[in-house]
Amino acid sequence: MHSFWVDLFVAIIKISVILGIALGIGAFLTWVERKVAAHIQRRPGPMVVGWHGLLQPLADGVKLLTKEDLFPRYGDKFLYHLAIILALVPATLVFSVVPFGPEFEIFGYKVKPILSDVNVGLLLVFALGSMAVYAVALAGWASNSKYPLIASMRKAGVLVSYEVVITFAVMGPIILAGTLSTYEIVEKQVEQKLWYIWLQPIAFVVYMFAALAEMGRVPFDVQEAEAELVTGFTVEYGGMKFGLFPLVEWYIEGLTLSAIAVVLFFGGWSPINIPFVGFVDPLFFLGPLSPFVWFILKTTALFLFILWLHWTLPRYRIDQITQSAWKIMLPLTLFNIVITAVLAPIVWR
Amino acid sequence: MGKLIIFGFFSLMAILSGIGIITLKNPVYVIVALLSSLIAVAGIFFTAGAELVGALQLLIYAVAIAIFYIIVISAVPWQKAKKSETHHRFEGLISLPVVLLLYIEMIVVFLLGVKASPEGEIAKLIEKIGNAEVIGAILFSKYFLAFEVVSLVLLVGMIGAVLIGRKESQTYEDDTT
Repeated sequence: MHSFWVDLFVAIIKISVILGIALGIGAFLTWVERKVAAHIQRRPGPMVVGWHGLLQPLADGVKLLTKEDLFPRYGDKFLYHLAIILALVPATLVFSVVPFGPEFEIFGYKVKPILSDVNVGLLLVFALGSMAVYAVALAGWASNSKYPLIASMRKAGVLVSYEVVITFAVMGPIILAGTLSTYEIVEKQVEQKLWYIWLQPIAFVVYMFAALAEMGRVPFDVQEAEAELVTGFTVEYGGMKFGLFPLVEWYIEGLTLSAIAVVLFFGGWSPINIPFVGFVDPLFFLGPLSPFVWFILKTTALFLFILWLHWTLPRYRIDQITQSAWKIMLPLTLFNIVITAVLAPIVWR
Repeated sequence: MGKLIIFGFFSLMAILSGIGIITLKNPVYVIVALLSSLIAVAGIFFTAGAELVGALQLLIYAVAIAIFYIIVISAVPWQKAKKSETHHRFEGLISLPVVLLLYIEMIVVFLLGVKASPEGEIAKLIEKIGNAEVIGAILFSKYFLAFEVVSLVLLVGMIGAVLIGRKESQTYEDDTT
């Protein structure tokens, strides 16, 4: 009975830390994004509210919260609100299988910095990630308006295509690691002294394409397409209800997909890797904190890479997006799976 | 104790959404109820310790299959797709014996399955090599033939769908030149 309460206590602490990260940093990332975008376009970005506009997210939040709450005539109120929840909850749940660092001991009690280390963690990531389709489809339908409906159909098509691609793309690392648990995949990479990106460059490129499509980033942000569809399926949403959609799509999903990419291809919390030789840790002076710092550093780097792409590239048309998914990406991933399945036993067994 | 509460919660949710599926009028609500019941069943799998089946339930049923219903139905004006009062009542009555037969078959298959696999054997295997591995091992050894036949059926279905959905190329001849 004693250990049950301890477990519950630890779980609650983990949940609050994860929620704090997901929602707190998620909001703060709007500022990061605007700053990065501004500097890419050679302008200062938000400067007025706080030092270099640091308090801008707070001001934006207050603005969004105090806006008038509009609702489209003949819309479906229940589904309209359900869509918001369906967008937020699955995206946040993905964090529950992201391993932030190696197991450590505190007061003689072993803690894994992962909320639930299920042995099918990776499948859960993609199952929950695909749940985003419902939010999109329902938001478009319940708004009772043409633009959101068209945009939601487009976005649903993109999501469904790339969900298939991303699931096949991660097969390569899964074959190499021989497990579906995110925690064990990282452990395997540490054990084999190998980041999987060295053996799986194709899978990584395809994964990044699919990740961009899933979070609706340029070059795959057809669902937004301001010129044709106003702002996509969120046209009829106002105030904070509108604010939640980009928060979830761009920042929370952006963070989770970057974190999963780090877990799969960059060895999670391990320091810089020299293939088959070992790890070099320039941050050794941080001691037991260094794995966590590495994980955060790598995730941030990937996230900034996504921002860089977003503010540099133009946009694809919808047919080009789905064609590239089915005709280029999917055959590439299948090829990659076959090669990996042939090579993996030769290398390790 | 905690497990029992969670199991009760998920089964209650599954039953309630099941009732919702057959009683709700608006087709989009029906799909949402279906989705909720599928997720509840996945939750039951998770409480039973069958993580792989639960995840597959989420991935295949709750996402891959139900999403096509919602895409199709949300493209149809829902006043047209609404179930009317008297529609299909007679057909429903006729289908009752068939449904009963299907249930009896399910029970028979279940009992046969329980008899066929000795109690505790698979549970021991799961403890030894893990969930996903057990399903892989059983699928690709004992039930290999059935597995391959099923994949053949799926292939046939896919070819049929492609043939039906194919555009006739001669209808769209380019006559602008």
